[in-house]
Amino acid sequence: MWVKLLLLLLFGLMIVGAFHFAEPRALEERSSSNTSHSLRLMTWNIGYAELEDDTRAHDKDLPAVAELILRQQPDAVALQELTGAPQLNALLNLLKGKYQGAIAQQGKGDRFEAVLVKNTGAKFIPVPVGTRYALGASFQSNTGGREVLLLSAHADAFNAAQRRIYTEGLIDWAQNRSQSSDVFIAGDFNFELKATNETNLYTDNVKHDSESYSHILRYFRDLGRAAGDTAINDRRIDYIFGPSNLKQTGRVEVLRNAAVGRMDHWPLVVEVGL
Amino acid sequence: MLTLFKLELEKLLRAKSFYLSFVVLSAFVALMLWGFYTYAARKTGGQAVEQFKYTYESKQYFNGLTFALYSVLFSFTLLLPIFVSMSAGSQIAGEARSGTLRMLCTRPISRASLVLSKFLVTALHASLLLGFFIVLNLVVGLIFVGWGNLELYPGPLNLVDAPGKILRDEALMRFGYAALSGTWALLVIAALALLCSVVFDSPAQAVVMTIAVYLALYIVGRVEFFEHLRPYFFTTDMDFWRDVFKPEIPWQSLWHYTCVCGAYTTGLLLTTVLIFERKDIVT
Repeated sequence: MWVKLLLLLLFGLMIVGAFHFAEPRALEERSSSNTSHSLRLMTWNIGYAELEDDTRAHDKDLPAVAELILRQQPDAVALQELTGAPQLNALLNLLKGKYQGAIAQQGKGDRFEAVLVKNTGAKFIPVPVGTRYALGASFQSNTGGREVLLLSAHADAFNAAQRRIYTEGLIDWAQNRSQSSDVFIAGDFNFELKATNETNLYTDNVKHDSESYSHILRYFRDLGRAAGDTAINDRRIDYIFGPSNLKQTGRVEVLRNAAVGRMDHWPLVVEVGL
Repeated sequence: MLTLFKLELEKLLRAKSFYLSFVVLSAFVALMLWGFYTYAARKTGGQAVEQFKYTYESKQYFNGLTFALYSVLFSFTLLLPIFVSMSAGSQIAGEARSGTLRMLCTRPISRASLVLSKFLVTALHASLLLGFFIVLNLVVGLIFVGWGNLELYPGPLNLVDAPGKILRDEALMRFGYAALSGTWALLVIAALALLCSVVFDSPAQAVVMTIAVYLALYIVGRVEFFEHLRPYFFTTDMDFWRDVFKPEIPWQSLWHYTCVCGAYTTGLLLTTVLIFERKDIVT
């Protein structure tokens, strides 16, 4: 009898303990913060999910993209998977002249990165990385001070080794500029770092992405980590990296209701104090 | 109760399967050493260096502590549950198969005490297995790979979100913690196998059923179709034991999952006792 009582008592204690030590569910996103900020950045891959015929951005979605940008009022936006300059011009028209922008040079692929900046004095810089092109925009922040340089990047979706080579090249380029500017790197890096989602215990793909991500974190800070997944299927593949010595960070949010059509990414917004 | 435990321990020490489990684990360490050596050589030199400019996979990363960590994590998922199932699954069903269960139950001891003593012996076996495996890995790592700090990176092993490091002495302590947390997690399997051992009269059936349930939940938990079911599988909760290898141990979460696994273990044991007490023993 005492054995059953002992087991029952232990069972009860374990249940009580499990509830007692249960952590309140961590808030995946912080929608607001009291921290004052001087720079608001956004990144958004506006392309479509793989199941579509054309996975690049669709013109019919541009009004929704423009509306969100106008509502969020970021100082600069990094966009990925545009079809080309005509699409960017259409978007700039929808933004009613409040933003200036440029599109990256065509690399090996059929899609382009772009940067939009609210500040009219922005300068756009092509960033060659292997066979691809990222795009940079340098501008003055609201507080004056050092120049801000935002890079819009898009790493290979299918090959982790290529992503690693791309990341190494991009970080080398950014590192050279970090002496004179506050460098931010935003975009879709396609890092698959959630090993629980992998069917294997250890894969070369996870290792390459781990190498790439760890390499970036040697020099930059992952500003969007607290906001959680940025794409469907619980993936956090869109990032905004900033200088590791940033004074303060404010709002960090993934706008999960923003996707339209068959978009598989959501915009990531971060606010920082310079 | 103590006498019962001693008798069960004697049976365990006389069983060939007890020693076989240690032999197989030693062979696994040898296999891991070969895999680790060849992998480290491939990834730190030759083509790897030509293809990529920057790497954490330096010779410093591939040290004995990293080797032990990988080895323990891999075997915990694939190998240790099998031996624990074999040990626990044959406890009652093995007696039934050899025709000694009826005689045991005619002795002036309660069936609940019998179940508890058999479970305690299984728990001891599980802790010895894990303890032996960890120590063997550390010794082999020290001799054949060399020591350093334990460096952790996001992605592989899924332990950290950002690169981190645990200093050598602290890391050794963490392996000690892992022996405790890992044993506690394995007790869920032991309790399940003991339940199967009471329900089925054949030890093979009990062991196969336990491993089938474990593997089914483990695999289903990794398939995206069922990701919403994942939190309800005991295999997910059992994973808590690895948290001791995080640079900052999340104590609250660790205690939470310790209690969850404890609830599974005691709940299954209670069920086992209740079924066994009502069981008509005809073998």
